[in-house]
Amino acid sequence: MSLLPTKPGFMAGRTVPPEPGYYDYAPYMGRPKITWPEGKRLAFWVAPNIEFYELAPPASEARAVWYRPEPDVLNYAMRDYGNRVGFDRMADVMAAHGVRGSVSLNVAVCDHYPKIIERCCELGWELFSHGIYNTRYMYGMNEDEQRRVIRDARETILRVSGQRLDGWLSPAISNELETQDLLAEEGLLYTLDLFHDDQPMPVKTRSGKKFTSLPYMMDVNDVPVLNFQSISPQDYLQLIKDHFDQLYAEGEESGTVMCLPLHPYLIGQPHRLWILDQALDYICSHSGVWLVTGREIAQWFNDHHYGEMERWIAGLGQEGGK
Amino acid sequence: MSVPESYFDYPNRREGVDHDRFAFRSLRDAPPVQWSHGGKLALWVTLHLEHFPLNMPGKPLLPIGGFDRPGVSVWDYTERDYGNRVGIFRLMRLLDRHGITPTVAMNAAVAERCPPLMEAMLARGWEIAASGVDMGHLHHGETPPEEEARLAAESFATLRRLSGQAVTGWHSPAHSQSPRTADLVAAEGGQWIADWINDDMPYRFRTDAGALVQMPLSYDLSDRKVMQLQAQPAAIWSGQVEAARDLLLSETATYGGRILSLSLSPWVAGRPAKIATLDRLFSSLLSDSEVKPATGGTLAADWATQVPA
Repeated sequence: MSLLPTKPGFMAGRTVPPEPGYYDYAPYMGRPKITWPEGKRLAFWVAPNIEFYELAPPASEARAVWYRPEPDVLNYAMRDYGNRVGFDRMADVMAAHGVRGSVSLNVAVCDHYPKIIERCCELGWELFSHGIYNTRYMYGMNEDEQRRVIRDARETILRVSGQRLDGWLSPAISNELETQDLLAEEGLLYTLDLFHDDQPMPVKTRSGKKFTSLPYMMDVNDVPVLNFQSISPQDYLQLIKDHFDQLYAEGEESGTVMCLPLHPYLIGQPHRLWILDQALDYICSHSGVWLVTGREIAQWFNDHHYGEMERWIAGLGQEGGK
Repeated sequence: MSVPESYFDYPNRREGVDHDRFAFRSLRDAPPVQWSHGGKLALWVTLHLEHFPLNMPGKPLLPIGGFDRPGVSVWDYTERDYGNRVGIFRLMRLLDRHGITPTVAMNAAVAERCPPLMEAMLARGWEIAASGVDMGHLHHGETPPEEEARLAAESFATLRRLSGQAVTGWHSPAHSQSPRTADLVAAEGGQWIADWINDDMPYRFRTDAGALVQMPLSYDLSDRKVMQLQAQPAAIWSGQVEAARDLLLSETATYGGRILSLSLSPWVAGRPAKIATLDRLFSSLLSDSEVKPATGGTLAADWATQVPA
């Protein structure tokens, strides 16, 4: 399986600027120190992606949705496994380690499989939005259309859980240039769409509202690692540990974040669940780990570090951005 | 820039799945079953016997193992054919030694092309399941309906004629189905399919010609995925199988019988360097008295008897 290309003609007539403009350059040296509660060194959070891929999705102008002629039974069923089987297994292991999830949620799951959402809520997990379906992209949407998606997500999550929508990962990580502006204007706290940093960072949007980028960490995400690379389970576990060790060591100087983004359809397979168990066992055995959700990291960063980080970056005296 | 208004229609956004083939069910809520062989974990070995024609179209869908080299791919053709000549007989000897009766999901073309192989399998009582005609004739969304009906009929008829068995199982080549495949299988007298990789246990699958049992044939743990596609060494693959065994066996204490599905292709698993590992793996799996081999047909029937519609 490989990544699908852009359809011919999708970007015809559109001008793309040379920079996204969401942030200025900020070197990973000499930054203001980030401190986590109780002197913790590393904020660790797990992001289970609870997704719904449609068997017969509408066509997208931007990309093919499925890999095979529809119905793509193989790829649909592979992902369906996560909701039928993988989710409960993953939740059991996380609960055994006292680790809460921050759910990257295709919010249509709230309507399709309410029992999954009930269990997430019982476990004290955060729900944030990963769009409506993973087969409906933000690509090509104007601002009103993007707002419709964001508001639908907010209303759906509030209705089923009573939770505020604070975080966002675009569905299938499909973005338009204004998506981050709109998320900030709609009152969200944080985005996971930007992969430019290992620490939380202020995001520059046109409204000037406080809006934070949290690291989502594709390096250890099970989809790119297990679906697009050929790597053994042992090597995946080692990768997670190495990733953690480095960030934990750096956390002595200034607080770091480690996100473990996972998909129940992959990590919840009987031959892989042990990876999660051992990874959590290893990470939780370190006393300097703050077990936390995305919302809690973003809130802490906003309350204690956002302003200072913003001023420091501004003081570096650079051009560009918005 | 905008998307069509219809992009905001969500016609299936309600409780349940987004089609009418089966109901949603969390595995942990599935009714517990017991296997008739008495073991808690059934080891279901499935061998895929396939014929890849030299002129296979490869479009619009390239099956796993389909030819992707340029030109006339004699390399690919002969490497796949190796499985039906050599690899399968190595596996046969190994399965004999471990007392395992597999399910053979086969293209009808293999039965026609390899009578001595057919004879050897039937002498051992291996279960024959239909798996289309050959790998150049796949069942997918763009297969013309009349052609697909002919392919399904030919697959079942040929395999029944050459095996003398009832042939009630179906594995769609390359795990691919058209919207009609399951209806055709049921109309041909099929009782179970093994195409959807969304569960670790059987469930009921609606068709226009009565319900089928959908069996959990593992793709993610298959030799083809792990050793061929991902190029992992045999020891890494067998370690994953043992991890799956451990987890599934642990679930039997709470949830009833489970199935460990091993999906093997002789052109992958039948290579000389894989056999010793496979031998050790079978010994390891069967050393536990709670792990016992069974065929797909037996497991489907066991399940269907205990879980009424």
